[in-house]
Amino acid sequence: MKYLGLRLFQSVFVLLGVSLLSFIFVEFAPGNFFDEIRLNPRISTSTVTNLRKQYGMDQPLPVRYFRWLESAAKGELGFSFAYNAPVGPLLWARARNTLLLTGSATLLAWLIALPLGILSAARPRGWINHACELFTTALLATPDLLLALGLLFLAVHFHWFHAGGMFSQESAGQGSWVLSKDLAAHMVFPVTVLVLGSLPILLRHTRAAMLEVLDSPYVRASRALGISRGRILFRHALPAAINPLVSLFGFSLGSLLSASLLTEVVMSWPGLGPLLLEAVLARDIYVVIGAVLFSTLLLVFGTLLADVLLFAADPRIRTEGLA
Amino acid sequence: MKIRVSGFAVVLLAGAYLYSFTLAVLAQSPQAGEELFLSSNQVGHYGGHLVVSLRSEPKTLNPVTSLDISSREVIAQMTGDLIHINRLTQDTQPALAKTWQVSPDGLKYTLHLRHALRFSDGHPVDADDVLFSFKVYLDEKSQSPQRDALIIAGKPIVVKRLDAYTVVFELVQPYAAAERLFDSLAILPRHLLEKAYQEGKLGQAWGLGSSPGEIAGLGPFRLKEYVAGQRIILERNPYYWQADRKGNRLPYLDDITFLFVTSADAEVIRFQAGDTDIINRLSAADASVLEGNQSVHLDDLGPSLEYNFLFFNLNATVPAQSGEITRKQNWFRQVKFRQAVSLAIDRDGITRLVYRGRATPLWTPVTPASKFWIDTAIPHPPRSVDQARKMLQSAGFSWKPDGTLIDGAGSPVEFSIVTSASNTQRTQMATMIQADLKELGMRVQVVPLEFRAVLDRVFQTHDYEAAVLALGGGDVDPNSQMNVWLSSGSDHLWNIGQLHPATTWEAEIDQLMEKQLSTLKPEARKLLYNRVQEIFAENVPLICLVSPNILVGAKNQIANFKPATLDPHTLWNAQELFLVGKGSTERP
Amino acid sequence: MKKKHRMTFLLICLGLLYLAVFAAGFLSPYDVAEQDRELPFAPPSRIHFTDTRGALHLRPSVCLLAEDSVQFGVYHEDTQKCFPIRFFVDGPQYKLGGLLACTRHLFGVDPPARLFLLGTDGYGRDLFSRFLHGGQISLAAGLLATLLSLAIGVLLGTASGFFGGWLDAVVMRFGELFIALPWLYLLFALRAFLPLNINPSQAFLLLIAVIGSVGWARPARLIRGVVLTGKERHYVLAARIFGGSPLYLVRRHILPQTYSIILTQAVLLIPQYILAEVTLSFLGLGVAEPEPSWGNMLASVQQYHVLVSYWWMLLPGIALVPVFLGYVLLANTLQARAT
Repeated sequence: MKYLGLRLFQSVFVLLGVSLLSFIFVEFAPGNFFDEIRLNPRISTSTVTNLRKQYGMDQPLPVRYFRWLESAAKGELGFSFAYNAPVGPLLWARARNTLLLTGSATLLAWLIALPLGILSAARPRGWINHACELFTTALLATPDLLLALGLLFLAVHFHWFHAGGMFSQESAGQGSWVLSKDLAAHMVFPVTVLVLGSLPILLRHTRAAMLEVLDSPYVRASRALGISRGRILFRHALPAAINPLVSLFGFSLGSLLSASLLTEVVMSWPGLGPLLLEAVLARDIYVVIGAVLFSTLLLVFGTLLADVLLFAADPRIRTEGLA
Repeated sequence: MKIRVSGFAVVLLAGAYLYSFTLAVLAQSPQAGEELFLSSNQVGHYGGHLVVSLRSEPKTLNPVTSLDISSREVIAQMTGDLIHINRLTQDTQPALAKTWQVSPDGLKYTLHLRHALRFSDGHPVDADDVLFSFKVYLDEKSQSPQRDALIIAGKPIVVKRLDAYTVVFELVQPYAAAERLFDSLAILPRHLLEKAYQEGKLGQAWGLGSSPGEIAGLGPFRLKEYVAGQRIILERNPYYWQADRKGNRLPYLDDITFLFVTSADAEVIRFQAGDTDIINRLSAADASVLEGNQSVHLDDLGPSLEYNFLFFNLNATVPAQSGEITRKQNWFRQVKFRQAVSLAIDRDGITRLVYRGRATPLWTPVTPASKFWIDTAIPHPPRSVDQARKMLQSAGFSWKPDGTLIDGAGSPVEFSIVTSASNTQRTQMATMIQADLKELGMRVQVVPLEFRAVLDRVFQTHDYEAAVLALGGGDVDPNSQMNVWLSSGSDHLWNIGQLHPATTWEAEIDQLMEKQLSTLKPEARKLLYNRVQEIFAENVPLICLVSPNILVGAKNQIANFKPATLDPHTLWNAQELFLVGKGSTERP
Repeated sequence: MKKKHRMTFLLICLGLLYLAVFAAGFLSPYDVAEQDRELPFAPPSRIHFTDTRGALHLRPSVCLLAEDSVQFGVYHEDTQKCFPIRFFVDGPQYKLGGLLACTRHLFGVDPPARLFLLGTDGYGRDLFSRFLHGGQISLAAGLLATLLSLAIGVLLGTASGFFGGWLDAVVMRFGELFIALPWLYLLFALRAFLPLNINPSQAFLLLIAVIGSVGWARPARLIRGVVLTGKERHYVLAARIFGGSPLYLVRRHILPQTYSIILTQAVLLIPQYILAEVTLSFLGLGVAEPEPSWGNMLASVQQYHVLVSYWWMLLPGIALVPVFLGYVLLANTLQARAT
């Protein structure tokens, strides 16, 4: 319990640190939101200057930071220049859609990677192992965006599933069963891209960790003792190999909001991705900082959970006090 | 017999009732005294849904404060103006103002509004709404980007009410093409916005979260539904003030859905898959993807008003630590240097490779899309590396044995071209220019930077040597480009915001542009503008490259589709569009 | 195959690859920046072993390619005008190993014929030549950046796991900070501070430094996890009791336990870092035109119209698979050896 309390305290520091550093980074990045208007010959420089003043962009950094802290405490997380609305509600609506996508993808990826990884470690000379290696290498050589475009090509030419979006026009106002089917159909491609993107890492780590454990003396002894293969794998080997996997799981959780940016953009999924990308490119700084903070929250939670699980899963760590 | 007649009568009555009921639902039949604008389009039939893609999400539905393109596209369908520019003919035509007179001295414009018109919520429109709208636009506290257009010779336009349907606009000096000012200045409903205005909250009104009842306008459509991140649906405005020749109130379509597709690739893919009906401003490369698709047709509208160019940093104020830039400006400032660069650039190659032939080479910022204003007498010298070399030689440059170009002091000529990394066409142009100038012995580095970083360097820090950018006029009229031509202008990119013109030719352009501003006769203006273009072509402060053609696509079943060179290219006549064939009343 | 033989075989394969990339100038028929504006997006050249009359020849030949007069990007081969492929020809000058100026190339074809083994890109530049030259930067940058990341990761992860306490907390929280920050903005800012013209070697080092120093947090955390377990093993405790210094304990007993993780991470990071250049070039931090790199070649395929119409642009990407497979197999062999 004391450990949890300590970690929460540290997490607040991390959040504050991230917000402050983000402010500073943003300050140093060239350009600001109103630069693009300058390209319009019909708008004068004085209008641009006045707009900047109106949004408080000519204030010094500490002033803006404290104003933002105040607004964060209220749940607004600052103001979006583009939308002329508070950032918090804007982000929350999109974050839900992103979490739906990445949550499903993460679950699916782990469900596929664990058994496959264990299997390929158990039979290093089997065809599953070789197939997995080839497969993961091919995936590593393919950028995510290319994968997404490839799937969209299938959607356009073979009419498989959908070419983007979250819901079809037709299903608006229909019953929840139709809506769920529609949603699932739209989710297939984005989730596939995300799963394929994270599979190499999970698969390889699972396989490597299992291989290392399967070679250790006590496993060999168990086999000599005649204990069944399955029991060895799941009861003895997996728990010992779980260490790096738990850390990875923490990272999986932590990147739930940030992993799908490009996929969402090219597949028109109404999540945080398109909003964030536009905000970054347009220097809509409070939206960016707000999204970063959301992500950090998840990341901090993810690593905390991972550490807790690490302690719980591996009894050897708990003996720390002995030295 | 009796039964049959009464049966028939019942059917007839029922039919008539249904018909009028449908009409009432679809569109209010013209009321007494309502003065509608009759358009001359092909007569269509009611019904149908249109789906159009937007490349970024609209940020607001507020006509006063909207800045980005997507918001303006949606708002354009929901609002009406006093005098409208017909995007096809490029001339003004009556909109809310049915007629107007100009006083002989050109200082007073008297506009007569149509009688008995109503906003999309049924509330009547009159001169008070016009007065209110202009009060809002001209108020400095509103921070409306539209305000600048209404300042003539430093003084804002004065708006006065003569009676319930007549408004007078007074200027301090005659302004050529003053009518064009009114285009896209939406008339706001006083009954909905006055309270917010008086409380100083007008800027926050009509955000995306607004309910349909809060918004009213004079456009062909009104807000129906907004789904965050996905789409915005506009439904027919039953009180719209335009009708077709037969008196049927427009628009024909039941609704328009704007689908948010967040990248250019996604846009093409969705159109290819049939999710959207119209695609606006395709790139030539993406258009090639659509060739062979039988259910859509592609239209090449010819050159747009956009002009891409290479320019050198001629600013007097550059970062103090870059003595490099100041040294190189000695080359850039020589006209012969710039002309030599212009001669060496392979504009045909750019047209072919970057735009697949769907672009027009340019030598001045006035593109062939401005049919009236372009000066056709300006020479278009073909690419000639030899002539370029001769020109450089006469300017004091020479070549080392290995081919490197050196200036009079013996330093090799090297510079960097900054361009936006996210715009593949401009990066490609810069790469091709790099290879072209290598033939002259110049060593050019292409530096693709993120777009805002480029803007920051060009507008703020002046920390660049050369850059490739594009500007695009929203309108053909020369007045819309004043900030580019004037040496004090904010878009006078090569030397921004000068207090005094740095060169004699810039001073001459300043004078000519000021003069044409208040010259009312088009022919006299054209003479002045021709001279401006000549001076520009001689001195090449911007080495113009190409103007990309406008490519649009639409499904075959869309009728009355008349894409135009001015923005919005495809939806400027959305009220006239209707669907034919199967799918006319089904969702596409 | 015996483990020892397998190792040697792999090393030879990888060695050949590196040699090919090193000798890119010799092996590629054209200069990387040479634009043939008549032949943009030309498909890979068809190599014929028969001459114009249909007779078989040992010497392969290539026929003239011309663009269709109406359609852009469609080419027709003129089978009447064929040119033989010559070996050890004279061509554009290059510097072997960056030092020796040579003009001899392994193979080439007389103009006006062109030999495009992998086709051309949008400017009409030979993709085969660009692929080989691109490997020079990408392979080196990918490897060095991975080494940097892993070095920092191992250092910090081991220290964090071994000493625990406040050091662990600081390093791990700092790592979380690192992952969470909006890197895009920092990279914008970084680019703004740099001079406008960066020469290629500076750009190369910058690339390595940026990619390598951003990605240390995940390896660090993974290693820390293993070290946490590893330091409680009985033999480590025993060594401690016997008076082993921390450095000895780490070097002799704990680090070996992390080899598996380090190898796995290396195999995963190298491809990721090679492809990271795709994003960096967008920010102005990658390799500048006209220099090729695998990253910026792949970036050009990431547009729908290229993917759909010009399939040969994917060939450099496909060619990456055996390269990465080589690393994977090497890592597997090393791991098998270590356990």
